[in-house]
Amino acid sequence: MSSVLKINSLTKKYGKLIAVNQLDLSIEQGQIYGILGPNGSGKTTTLGMILDVVAPTHGSFEWFGGMNHVEARQKIGSILETPCFYSYLTATQNLRIVAHIKNTDTARIDDILKQVNLYERRNDKFKTYSLGMKQRLSLAAALLSDPPVLMLDEPTNGLDPEGIAEVRQLIRDIAANGKTIIMASHLLDEVQKVCTNFCILRKGVKLHEGSVHEILGETNVVDILGDDLAQLSVEVEKFKGAEKVQKENGSIKVFLTEGQSSAELNKYCFEKGITLKKLIPQSKSLEQEFLKILKEND
Amino acid sequence: MIRAFKLEWLKIRHYKVFWILFGLYLLTQFVITNGGTFLLEWLESKGADFDGIQPSIVPIYDFPDIWQNSVWLASFPKVLVSFIVVVSVNNELTYNTLRQNIIDGISKKEFLLSKFSLIIFIAAVCTLFLFITALITGLTYSHVTDVKYIFSEIDYIFSYFLQIIAFCLFAFCVGLVIKKAGFAIVFILIYSIFQLIITSILQFSDWTKDYMADYVKFFPLYSIEKLTGKVYESPFARYLLQEIKTDIFWYEYLIVFAWIGIFCGFITYLLNKKDLKA
Repeated sequence: MSSVLKINSLTKKYGKLIAVNQLDLSIEQGQIYGILGPNGSGKTTTLGMILDVVAPTHGSFEWFGGMNHVEARQKIGSILETPCFYSYLTATQNLRIVAHIKNTDTARIDDILKQVNLYERRNDKFKTYSLGMKQRLSLAAALLSDPPVLMLDEPTNGLDPEGIAEVRQLIRDIAANGKTIIMASHLLDEVQKVCTNFCILRKGVKLHEGSVHEILGETNVVDILGDDLAQLSVEVEKFKGAEKVQKENGSIKVFLTEGQSSAELNKYCFEKGITLKKLIPQSKSLEQEFLKILKEND
Repeated sequence: MIRAFKLEWLKIRHYKVFWILFGLYLLTQFVITNGGTFLLEWLESKGADFDGIQPSIVPIYDFPDIWQNSVWLASFPKVLVSFIVVVSVNNELTYNTLRQNIIDGISKKEFLLSKFSLIIFIAAVCTLFLFITALITGLTYSHVTDVKYIFSEIDYIFSYFLQIIAFCLFAFCVGLVIKKAGFAIVFILIYSIFQLIITSILQFSDWTKDYMADYVKFFPLYSIEKLTGKVYESPFARYLLQEIKTDIFWYEYLIVFAWIGIFCGFITYLLNKKDLKA
């Protein structure tokens, strides 16, 4: 895999405030990389720096193994928080400017506008568009040059549920073509659903970096339910592999000791003459892990 | 440079405000530089005379004087042209498209270059328009038609070209510092008047003229306006048999070139210093 982005101890200070502190990151081709963090953790500042609109206080970064920054930016499709276009120009005219900047053909403009459902309104001025349409035009601008890297800042901010689902599907489709996606978000659920890798920022410091798959392994907690809850709880208490048993919301949570699996618990219950109606090994959610990581670093 | 201008062209081609402002300036320029005959005839019909001379025989359109006369007049409404630059720079800030352009893949230098190419384009069109209309008017009314005289003081046309470029770059700086177009325009107007007053005081008042008059020429707008003659340096005074300044000195060009360099440097500094926040 080749390197798309390598960040070396990037730092941004606003007076006394350190927005981003000694950040190191490396993003490989084909990853869907989520930059997670609470509001004000330095996500947008980081994106601003790697796109050359915010000047780093110190540190450096490298696109595609050392490509000229201007050329590199032409290969990146970006959707940042607010759509920025010339309000007195139409969608087509605005996209022509983007095509010119990105040194790409204008022939795809119509196709792209059809793809984002703006084709009928292509000759209307940008200022007449609704917020949703403006966002779709940003999307069109980002996809116009068929870029190998897509950068998204809070991509589903302000969208309705349907729009959110569309954007998620789009991210997956684009990623399926082997493209690299870098997204900043404070929505854990979103990162969990689409990203392959992620890092967590807080107050400009990177607290954690890793793959989403690894961190979302199974936990030692199993949720079970039987016909007679009281009897079930008594029997399960006697199970050697159970560390702790908790009644919760009409079901029983069993905390297994190490080396025990949910299969063994099932077998034990069956031998005791209890048929389980429900047996769900609980998997970790990014939210829990996120909060755990934040707590560990307090 | 061609790539930079094409970027700008895509932005202005369908921009009504740009064409209205530009057309307005060209129209004003045309009327005030070529409407002289009508004005003089009108004055005559009202019974005016200049020390016994009939107004309509004053040879304001004779070659080569016509160049200096037209250029002096054409520089009055140049502030209209500077509005174009202010509006254009301001759009980039208010729509946040400067930031977007850079994210999409131009350098800050390219941005400066694209606006600079717009300024050259505007200056070239204004100059060409002035040259052609003055030439036609001259050929129609001039008593002198010898080719040798027609083009003998043509350097005034170049001064005018340089003046528009320098003045527009000044407007570019103002537009970049003052982010509201309206305030920027008001600032340009107030500053023009303010500087005229200050330089006039320094140059002509009894207390300061002995040791300040030599330095006045270094003021930015003063040096730019000096290229076509200051407001009070009317070339028409020659028809009242007063002595007028007819040459532009090399150092006057040099000062304006220096200001052009300073403006470009200042713009580069501002673009690089500032973080472009969303």
